[in-house]
Amino acid sequence: MKNVTDSFVSLVNWPFAGSFGLNTDILATNPINLSVVLGVLIFFGKGVLSDLLDNRKLRILNSIRNSEELQRGAIERLEKARARLRKIEIEADQFRVNGYSEIEREKFNLINSTYKTLDQLENYKNETIHFEQQRAINQVRQRVFQQALQGALGTLNSCLNKELHLRTISANIGMFGAMKEITD
Amino acid sequence: MNVLSCSMNTLRGLYDISGVEVGQHFYWQIGGFQVHAQVLITSWVVIAILLGSAFIAVRNPQTVPTATQNFFEYVLEFIRDVSKTQIGEEYGPWVPFIGTLFLFIFVSNWSGALLPWKIIELPHGELAAPTNDINTTVALALLTSIAYFYAGLSKKGLGYFSKYIQPTPILLPINILEDFTKPLSLSFRLFGNILADELVVVVLVSLVPLVVPIPVMFLGLFTSGIQALIFATLAAAYIGESMEGHH
Repeated sequence: MKNVTDSFVSLVNWPFAGSFGLNTDILATNPINLSVVLGVLIFFGKGVLSDLLDNRKLRILNSIRNSEELQRGAIERLEKARARLRKIEIEADQFRVNGYSEIEREKFNLINSTYKTLDQLENYKNETIHFEQQRAINQVRQRVFQQALQGALGTLNSCLNKELHLRTISANIGMFGAMKEITD
Repeated sequence: MNVLSCSMNTLRGLYDISGVEVGQHFYWQIGGFQVHAQVLITSWVVIAILLGSAFIAVRNPQTVPTATQNFFEYVLEFIRDVSKTQIGEEYGPWVPFIGTLFLFIFVSNWSGALLPWKIIELPHGELAAPTNDINTTVALALLTSIAYFYAGLSKKGLGYFSKYIQPTPILLPINILEDFTKPLSLSFRLFGNILADELVVVVLVSLVPLVVPIPVMFLGLFTSGIQALIFATLAAAYIGESMEGHH
């Protein structure tokens, strides 16, 4: 009877005393099941996990290789672009030099032609002046001649009388007679 | 007398079978607080495992990852994925928090399911997963609450509180209630699942020590992983929700 009550008491009042220790009861601590679980987990988990990790590693390697290739391509393109730039710069220099010489020549030609035109204009001017001078001289000469003729006509009209008239006629007759004798 | 001794034997047998300890704790007194020492001890082991693996992972970093580094990078990638899908574009600063939650809970759960804790005998109570104790899970859930409040407040300032009356002001009580139910559901879900798993295993072991508990132990492993993922995902979702707000 006392035992029964003791067992009830022990059910109610949990034993409190005790310290750290190892529980060596294999069934209670359950190591067999745990090791089975761990073993199965490792056996199946390892394959899955290593597949996963290998895939990931492959992916990383691929991406690294791809980016390296891209880098190489980019460097090549950069080199090509640099070479082209150099070539074009040289061409541009040539063009510049050619252009300068062309410009110089054009300038020279232009100056020459301008000089030629200038000379022609000068000649034209001189000719024009000469012509104008000639014309003026001709006019003056005509005028003087006209005045002289008028003067002579006036003098003739004023001096012409009967005696002079007769004398002239007789002189002319004599001259004509002389001319007739000579022809005969 | 025979009857009595017989009944006594039956009681002893029952007592042995029912030697499953629930709610028995090994207390330490720290500064006037009673702390659950078994939780602290197992937490320290878990923390040691995590810190040790982190140390191993970053010890010798290579451009092309070696096996260990590859594994830990994969874990990190997984955590980043979870955070990104739940939080959205601004997930960056929250990856450490989500990752800590996930890794701690996951390693805790699996340590409870895989390590033979019961080999070490405590004066009172027994060693188990840290998440087996409601205090741990409540602490984690409260950390999550603080985190999502901080995320919302730092993102939107006081405008964060406008989400409480967002669809209609009538929902204000429900929205406020949500802030309490979130940590509650988080902590109780994790605690209940892990405790139930371990209890089922312990009860089965005490009934049939060999072979029979093994499927249940596998189920426990599966559930433990799922619970860790759920906790981390929900924490990230709460943070993302408080940062994004209702539109």
